[in-house]
Amino acid sequence: MALNPFFLQGSFGEQRLVQELINEQLKIYGVEVTYIPRKYVRKQTIIEEVQSSKFDDNFLLEAYVNTYDGYSGAGDIMTKFGVSLRDELTVTVSRERFEDFISPFLEDESDQDVEVAGRPREGDLIYFPLGKRLFEVKFVEHENPFYQLGKNYVYELKCELFEYEDEVFDTSIDTIDTVLEDQGYILDLTMFSTGSGATATASVGTGYIQQIFLDNDGSGFTSTPTVAITTAPSSGTNATAVAITTTRNNITSISEILLTNAGTGYTVAPTITISGGGGTGAAATCGIITAHRGVISFTITDGGSGFTTTPPVSISVPPLSPTISASAKAVVSAAGTISEIRIANAGAGFLGSAPTVTVGTAATTGIGTYWFNEVITGSRSGMSARVKRWDSDTNILRVGLTSGYFFAGETLTGAKSGAAYVIKNTGVANTETDKYRDNDEFETQADSLIDFSETNPFGTY
Amino acid sequence: MLGSYYYHEIIRKTIISFGTLFNDLNIKHKDSSGGVVSQLKVPLAYGPTQKFLARLEQQANLDKPVQITLPRMSFEMTSISYDSTRKSGITQTFRAVDNNDKMKKVFMPVPYNIGFELSILSKLNDDALQIVEQILPYFQPSFNITVDLVESIGEKRDIPVVLNSVSFQDDYEGDFSTRRALIYTLRFTAKTYLFGPVADNPEGLIRKVIVDTYSDTNTQTAKREMRYTVVPDPIDANPGDDFGFSETFETFTDSKSYSPTRQSDI
Repeated sequence: MALNPFFLQGSFGEQRLVQELINEQLKIYGVEVTYIPRKYVRKQTIIEEVQSSKFDDNFLLEAYVNTYDGYSGAGDIMTKFGVSLRDELTVTVSRERFEDFISPFLEDESDQDVEVAGRPREGDLIYFPLGKRLFEVKFVEHENPFYQLGKNYVYELKCELFEYEDEVFDTSIDTIDTVLEDQGYILDLTMFSTGSGATATASVGTGYIQQIFLDNDGSGFTSTPTVAITTAPSSGTNATAVAITTTRNNITSISEILLTNAGTGYTVAPTITISGGGGTGAAATCGIITAHRGVISFTITDGGSGFTTTPPVSISVPPLSPTISASAKAVVSAAGTISEIRIANAGAGFLGSAPTVTVGTAATTGIGTYWFNEVITGSRSGMSARVKRWDSDTNILRVGLTSGYFFAGETLTGAKSGAAYVIKNTGVANTETDKYRDNDEFETQADSLIDFSETNPFGTY
Repeated sequence: MLGSYYYHEIIRKTIISFGTLFNDLNIKHKDSSGGVVSQLKVPLAYGPTQKFLARLEQQANLDKPVQITLPRMSFEMTSISYDSTRKSGITQTFRAVDNNDKMKKVFMPVPYNIGFELSILSKLNDDALQIVEQILPYFQPSFNITVDLVESIGEKRDIPVVLNSVSFQDDYEGDFSTRRALIYTLRFTAKTYLFGPVADNPEGLIRKVIVDTYSDTNTQTAKREMRYTVVPDPIDANPGDDFGFSETFETFTDSKSYSPTRQSDI
């Protein structure tokens, strides 16, 4: 026997005592960090990379900060890729505590592609609560101190600040999950709110154009033509109208002409002239009513919100003879409100008081509240994303980890909350949170510089 | 001598034009079943920036929780050099019309090569490969962009952007305390043109043409017979105006000739 048999080189009891003392010291002088194991969503072979990861577990663990006088590493430095924080952290954790309280859970993750469970793993994360920062374990030192009483009692985790890409963070600890709320690739989507109804009033008068008849719809229009109506006598108000074009078989013609103001005081039917728009042949006439009252114009008192399609407009039936009902069409603005109501038929037989105008309710019905970190799915695109923030006041939904682009007008439904709202317009990549990106700015400025119209013999877009 | 102020922002425009080539590159990540779990547009920025601005904008919150978000692309101008192979006569000028229909005199532009370096920093090699593979096929080895270099005269030039080299750095060796840095560097040359000042054309418009006709082609011995003079009507008409011409025919029996330098018959 080579060693002196009269001396123990560390008995089980002694080793136990040392481990207990270390555990106790760590609990007294340590910091309560959160150990977040990495789960592989996809590991790519050959190139050997974990392409997608998720962090959806958490284990509280006491750790002693070895670099107690500050982070080590290069600190905050300026690189060509922007500000890079090269802070590093070395913490010591109890070997026994890790093996007893974390390893069993890691082993249970049999469905995950976790290759090592018995020790802290490189690639896992440590949330350091004092700095509110996420550190990635890059090396686990298990032999420092070196076999005291024949055993090692601690792991020394050498960590560096995490490089974030598109990993899923769903640890169920809000303080951890939300630190990445404004990091990474983010889309801000403006959603339609729960639609509110629009209201409008009508004014009536006499000597008005009841309806414009389109005698010839013309052809070859490239833009909307102008409709000019001869003026009313000085005591009246001029009628105005707009043309609505339609395209069939690649030929654009006028589908109808709607009055924006039916005018008053006309004694003879005015002449209607259609000009501009690149088309030819369009002609229209109109009939006026001088003996009865009809709808002259509409005033929007509340534009409502949440309109994605044109709602019907109904006007109360005129009580007097000849009882010609009025009809009108609403115009929905890009913001989803009713911006205008145009007269298709001014009707006849109204009393001096204004008729009742009813605008159909908004078609969209946004409901619920999106939950943080839940997965939302687009109804048309089928794309998914994770909720980073939902602002119910501005109806802006901030999402990350998008699997593609969403369409305006599709409904995004939250998987857990069941909340569903319609996208008003697809958001642009957020530029507020990530100041080191100018993708959109380059595009905007280049639009006025680069000529995409010229065919280039040496290269094309 | 050189002091007349002008600034066409040509180098800046070249930077913008170069940057916009790469501003819409996306990468995708998939799960084990092949479904796309995330698609992200690769952030692009011009590298050199004011330090305090970078710090304030990118690290407004001092407790930034992560080191950096990846992948990222950055580019910067690395050189400006004269390209003698595209040289044209330095005293040549050409006329151009500015936004106000005024005739301008412009000296021939000077060919300059602007060197660019596009760097791609990624966390995964696969990310970098996705990005690089979406760039390289467009450069054979050049890709042309048509840029309105001098807006005031609408001078559009085809600027070939030539891919000179692709190199990458993958520091995966060494101890575990050193971070793996994965940087692809693509070097380009944009063959642009620098324009001098755009001056009002001192020669103005041709407002009078005089043609003398002779009885023989030997004008040394033959005498002039007839002079045809034509001026626009009205005389101050501009090129875009609706104007006519006023023609005058004169018959001569003298033996004089017209001296263009003296602008008289001698």
